[in-house]
Amino acid sequence: MSCAQTHLHKVELQSKDYKTDTKPFWCPGCGDHGVLTSIYRALAELGVDPNYLVNISGIGCSSRLPYFVRSFKMHTLHGRAGPVATGVQLARPDLAILVNGGDGDGFSIGGGHMPHLARKNINMTYVLMDNRVYGLTKGQVSPTSQRQMKAYTTPYGGVEEPLDPVLYMLTYGASFVAQTLATNVKLTAQLIKDGMEHKGFSFISVLSHCPTFNNIDDAKFFKETADELQDQHDVTDIDAAMHAVNMTHRRGRIPVGLLYRSERPTLDERMAELVKQVGGSPDYDLHKIIDLARP
Amino acid sequence: MSKHDLIIRVAGEGGEGIISTGDLITQACARAGLEVYTFKTFPAEIKGGYAMYQTRVSPEPLYNQGDTFDVLCAFNGQAYDLNRSLLHPGTAFVYDGPGGDFEPDVPPGVHAYAIPMTQTAKEMGNIKAKNMVALGALSQLFDIPEQALREILSAKFGKKGSTVVEGNLNAFTRGRELAAALTKSDPWKMEKPLHDNNSVVLSGNDAVGLGAIIAGLDFFAAYPITPATEIARYVARHLPKRGGTLIQAEDEIASLGQVLGASFAGKKAMTATSGPGLALMGEMLGMSFMSETPCVVVDVQRGGPSTGLPTKHEQSDLFMAIHGSHGDCGRIVLSVEGVGDCIGLTVEAFNLAEKYQCPVLLLSDGSLAFSTQTIPYPEPADYPIVARKTWDGKGEYQRYVITEDNISPMAAPGTPGGMHIATGLEHDQAGEPNYTSANHEAMQAKRFDKLKAVVDDFAPAEVDGEGEADLGIIAWGSTIGVVREAVARLRAEGHSVKGFYPKLLWPMPVEQYEAFAATCAKIMLPEVNFLGQLAHFVRAETTLRPVSYTICGGLPFTPAMIVGKAKEMLK
Repeated sequence: MSCAQTHLHKVELQSKDYKTDTKPFWCPGCGDHGVLTSIYRALAELGVDPNYLVNISGIGCSSRLPYFVRSFKMHTLHGRAGPVATGVQLARPDLAILVNGGDGDGFSIGGGHMPHLARKNINMTYVLMDNRVYGLTKGQVSPTSQRQMKAYTTPYGGVEEPLDPVLYMLTYGASFVAQTLATNVKLTAQLIKDGMEHKGFSFISVLSHCPTFNNIDDAKFFKETADELQDQHDVTDIDAAMHAVNMTHRRGRIPVGLLYRSERPTLDERMAELVKQVGGSPDYDLHKIIDLARP
Repeated sequence: MSKHDLIIRVAGEGGEGIISTGDLITQACARAGLEVYTFKTFPAEIKGGYAMYQTRVSPEPLYNQGDTFDVLCAFNGQAYDLNRSLLHPGTAFVYDGPGGDFEPDVPPGVHAYAIPMTQTAKEMGNIKAKNMVALGALSQLFDIPEQALREILSAKFGKKGSTVVEGNLNAFTRGRELAAALTKSDPWKMEKPLHDNNSVVLSGNDAVGLGAIIAGLDFFAAYPITPATEIARYVARHLPKRGGTLIQAEDEIASLGQVLGASFAGKKAMTATSGPGLALMGEMLGMSFMSETPCVVVDVQRGGPSTGLPTKHEQSDLFMAIHGSHGDCGRIVLSVEGVGDCIGLTVEAFNLAEKYQCPVLLLSDGSLAFSTQTIPYPEPADYPIVARKTWDGKGEYQRYVITEDNISPMAAPGTPGGMHIATGLEHDQAGEPNYTSANHEAMQAKRFDKLKAVVDDFAPAEVDGEGEADLGIIAWGSTIGVVREAVARLRAEGHSVKGFYPKLLWPMPVEQYEAFAATCAKIMLPEVNFLGQLAHFVRAETTLRPVSYTICGGLPFTPAMIVGKAKEMLK
């Protein structure tokens, strides 16, 4: 597969080699442990050189993940991992970019950035760790919470409808969209690996249960509600992807698997093309630019 | 002081070619070797509304837009109404008539010239050529270099084909003929240039873009906003030639986020915005300071607060530039006087950002953004370039290690052994989160102490004049150019006056302020904002008690206003 930057700097490492000395700070039983394990496995299977991996996050429980992954990393502001990662990627297209964040981070405060990562096809992998609740602030409803959720600021139950991150990203033109469960490390690792190999913006929604603040969407609920996409699902057909999501929802179920994948130029490729078009190079004579301002 | 300059104001309806007429006058004069300083106002709307373009021309260097015009060219009745009170005995007044939309009641002593601009353009079958008729008449009446105008006109319309070029040149010629048939009664005309021409003409915004490219800009991100967008336009056109990248972000939070990402990745990165955008960037500035990630943020100030006066001039973002962000958040703030500074101080902003690993804000303003000025040819080799301190690869890397100068070496991704985290959380020297009191105090001290060297690292503020003075005037931003001329005029009248022109606004060169004040009996501090923002910092940080002189009507000071206030204070 001609793919993302992961092929540029290959190393032979095992999952454990991607661990840092910092121990994960999540609660016991948190789905995020499974996501981290899946990431270690995907990185090892791809042979990503940690020196050329940049792991970027926003703010929230899941956004602590980069501290636990051997890599260059940025722990940015609430909701802003996407734009910061965009800057890293465009400045250095030779790097592999992995972004993590939660549902509040990515789809509430950072929701305005998601369409632009998708439509611009920024070459990065975005792993959403969706626990359907705000954990770090001790349990408020998030944009993906089920309406009936009673929580910190909704003592009588919620009043808002949730949004669906995969449908959102399909709508805005993400070129790779998948969904999985944190408890299914095998599938999650495979999809993250596929996402990182995909050239362009890959979005992997991982339903990652919160055992502390969300007793509706627990591990059991996710497992019992997940429907794996059928073998005949055509991942190159955007209509089929949207249809699959809508039909699964209609049955009160959650679609799991690779929903959509397509190839198109990434933003950094288009920019490189543009530089070529104008004959650009760092040695371009500055006088030629300044002379244009002569009266 | 004898007057060598000439100021021509062209005014009318937006979309009638006011701006291009002004541009043509400016370009032609500059090509002929004259100094120019222009000043424009235009409506916040795309079509219609009042537009004005004023060109000041002189064989000698110019530092501001002047007091008022010598020549007014009014394209319509609104332009006349809005400028009528400024017509005084001796002013030359060229207007559209007969056949225009108004009949002026010309004040006594004003030299009026009726040129049938609309009617002539109609007769020639091209109403769009109205401004060419006006340009021809102005060229004839006031000796605006004809040959240069013809060359520039031909080049400007060349792309549209020979018919268009010819049509415009014919209208221009007709304008000259119409004016030649009138009797010239006023004294105004362009003086001849003093020297050979090795200059360029740039607007403040274009010059910021050029400065950034000279500095070695790799990555530019911005969101469109008046009056800063031309910086992005300039960079978009020229940065790809140097292999760099420009992205239009979805908002200003994203643009500064992208800049920090690119900077972390080892590149020189900047954004440009105006006040509302800077307000959105507040949290991200804190991230830059906390994570010690270099960035350059240009703020082309406009009238505020809120949406305010988007196309008007104001110097009212100083509070936000110096302290805007939560927590104790350091940064370096520079401000530009004119187009030359827009190049030089943009380079300096990059040098300081890369050296001190912090946000550097460069303040420009609405009048400078669009003001075109002649400046000596900027030779790239004349601008020293500073690179960031990078890790030598020895020993165990600690991103935030406390060093003698408190500047920690950086390691870009791909540096073997250089893995680290850039984080907005308080952290220890290795970058690991650490919220202990001792650590927070030590790391805040590190981040602020490194900035103490900035004052000595930056060229001292210029002192205009020597010895003791009855009055000292402190100015910042484009107000400096106005004060320069006011100080010269006051001196020519025998007054004892000095000027102090700081361009490093934060950290504040306190000793320099004190040394200046020690030589002045009184201090005036004029600035274009309501609250007297620099005066506030001067009172807070120094022993000076300046008389704050503020205006905020959307326009810059004129030299005459400063002279008037100075005389009041000198009484």
